[in-house]
Parts: sequence; structure tokens; C-alpha cells
Amino acid sequence: MTQTHSKAQEGKAVTTSTTFSRETSVHATILADPTIVWALLTRASDVSRWNSTVVSIKGDIQPGETIELKSTLDEKRTFKLKIKEFVPEKRLVWGDSQGNRVYTIEKGTGNGVLFTMSEKIGGPLFPLFAKYIPPFDESFERFAADLKREAESIQSSKS
Amino acid sequence: MMTDQLTLEFETFRGELKSFILRMTASVQDAEDIVQDTYIRAHTKINTFRGESSLKTWIFSIASNLARDLLQSKKRWPETVTDICREEALGNRQFFQEAMQIRETSPQGKFEIKEHIAFCFTCVSKSLPLEQHLALLLKEVYGFKVMEIAQIMGQSEAMLKYYLHVSRSRMIDIFDHRCSLINKEGICYQCTELNGIFNPKQSAQAELVKIEMARDAENKSKDELFDLRMKILQELDPFESGAAELQLHHLEHNRQVMEKHLDENP
Repeated sequence: MTQTHSKAQEGKAVTTSTTFSRETSVHATILADPTIVWALLTRASDVSRWNSTVVSIKGDIQPGETIELKSTLDEKRTFKLKIKEFVPEKRLVWGDSQGNRVYTIEKGTGNGVLFTMSEKIGGPLFPLFAKYIPPFDESFERFAADLKREAESIQSSKS
Repeated sequence: MMTDQLTLEFETFRGELKSFILRMTASVQDAEDIVQDTYIRAHTKINTFRGESSLKTWIFSIASNLARDLLQSKKRWPETVTDICREEALGNRQFFQEAMQIRETSPQGKFEIKEHIAFCFTCVSKSLPLEQHLALLLKEVYGFKVMEIAQIMGQSEAMLKYYLHVSRSRMIDIFDHRCSLINKEGICYQCTELNGIFNPKQSAQAELVKIEMARDAENKSKDELFDLRMKILQELDPFESGAAELQLHHLEHNRQVMEKHLDENP
């Protein structure tokens, strides 16, 4: 059964596995303007400054573009990822043939926004390579915590 | 508002506006042209000024747009600008001869380390994306509030806060890794090197003690050191200071070197 963010604990990653796929997600309430959260997510050259799970991103996070991402999960590997959806301040999707990473920003209950991030990987050959893919949970939790800290710090900066 | 009043008020911040545009463009000619064009546009459109912002904010908005139009198609400078320009200057005898001539004959030909610190920031900050560069100067050097900068740049306050945060972080990081005045591991010591050339009888150490940013480097946080760097820029008018002619000559050299460098390294 897939858990939704309403059931999952704030900032805590949840992973659901089946024979042919694995999906990890995390959510966080961020007390910042969606413009700030979106800017942090999509300014590629700046991401490694605030995000401790990203070594580097080359390219532009823009519709139709392809980026080269190096993650702390596997620093030797460069992931070539296509930007598949780009709805400013709402939804960003990038991915490759093995899976998609989905980011969403929604209006929260109070002043903040609800940020969610999920990644589903899988396919017919998934059982063969599944054991070589490290768990995402810790990395997802750090990502969400870093984003929340940075966005709220910017939001509260002096006017 | 009457045009007489516009002219009167414009003159009260003309110097600030000119130094702002110089620090955006690194070109005396562009600064003079844009200030002139700004005045003409303001004069022509004064009937559209509704007083929703201060006149100064409105004028800076016109000037910022003109600077943006000029700079949008130009490449940003690399953060290693001072290294590249130093190499070029070392092989350029004419540059040093002219500089020495200014040093010896001009009333604005003094070499002061704090002036070079401001000059250096002007060059290095041109490595920031254009919007971030504009926002950073308006806030940190010219003292505009975020709300006013949002009006000047036509951006939301949230976006401005992002630009300001990122640009400040970027500049702090660059200087922390480069500037030997604040970090002993810094690779750039150009200001003390030039002090040795232009003021051979003067002790650079004695001069550095006069500069709070350098004197207290070990006891201050990176943020505080950046604020002290900004204070130097706030207090200096690059057109009126005692080192203006020497520094503007150097700036023109760097601008020309950068144009060539960027043409040759697409």
C-alpha cells in the first residue's frame, strides 16, 4: 500500500517497494513564499550550495532541457535527466528511462507551502538491478530539511 | 512634479547614480551616457511619475533598465577576472607607464588599498548573474530597501530576497577563497602588490591596520567581513575620491581585457 503525505511524518521519507518498482517520497511544510522555494529548486548552478545531497548540476532546469546531476548517493555517476514538466511554483518533473523525480509545491494550511518530493524507479528489468540502487530515504530527508532551512532563512531575511 | 524640481532633486543623487552605473558596467563612458539618458527619459516622462515611490527610486528604476538593456547581451565576467587582468597588465608596459604618470601628476592619483578593495569588488561582482548583481548593489551599497528594489527591478519581494541571499553568499564565498586580506589561504594579494609598486616607501602592513576589514579579519565572521567590505564601497565615490583617476584607468584596462578575453573564450 502506498502511503500519502497526509499520513507520513513531516520530513520523514517513506519508501514503498513492489517487485517491479520502488517509490520514495518525503514532504515538508516550508514557511516561505513559493517563489523562493521554486527559485531554490530550479537555479541549477546554486543548488549544490544549499543542498547537501547534490554534488553538482550542470545545465539549465528549463522545459525540455537535459541536466547532468551528480548526487552524493553515487558521486562517480553522472545522471543525465530530462526536464519533463515545468510548471513555475507548482510542479517540476525530471527523469530518465528508469524513473522520474517529481517535486510539487502547494499552498499550505498556514503561511507556508507544502513541498513534496517523490521518485519512482522501476520497469520490467527492475528486479535485476534493484539491489544495486541504494536506499533514497536518508538523502530525501536531508534534501527536504536543507530546502526548508534555506527557504525559511531567505524568507526571514531583512527587508 | 515640475521639471525644475526634477532637475534640483536629480542633482542631489546624480553622483550616487553615476557610481552605481559605473559599478554595474565598469565603464566610465557607459556610466556617463546612462546617467544622461536617464535624466532625459525622466524629464520626458515626468508626467507619468505618480509618486508611488520616491523620485530617487523612480530614477534608479529608469537607470537600472537602461543598464540592463546594455548588459543583457554581454557575457558576465569570470570570478577570476583579477588574475586574468593581472597577467595582461604585467605584459603591458604602456598601462604601467600611464598609471605611473597619473600617480605622479594627478590630484586623484593616489594609490590606497581601500580604494583597490572597492575596485576589486566592482570587477569580481560582475561575475554574478545580472539580476543578482543589480539587486546586491542596490541593497548593500546604495541602501535601498527590498520593497524599493522590487519596484526598481519589477520583481516580487520574494524573488528579490532570493537574489540578495544568493548573491551575498556567492560573494562571501568568492572572497573567502581569494582575498588574502581576510583569509591567509587567499590566493589574491593584488592590492598589497600594487601598493608596493605605487607606494614603494610605504608599509602595506601599516596601511592594512587602518582598514577595519583587514585589521579584524581573524575576529569577524564572514558575514561581518562582507559588511565591512560593503562599508568601504558605501563610503567611496569612484569618481571623486583621491584615487579616482588611477582606479578608473585601471578599471578601463580591466574592461578592455575582459572584452577581449570573453570574445576569445566563447
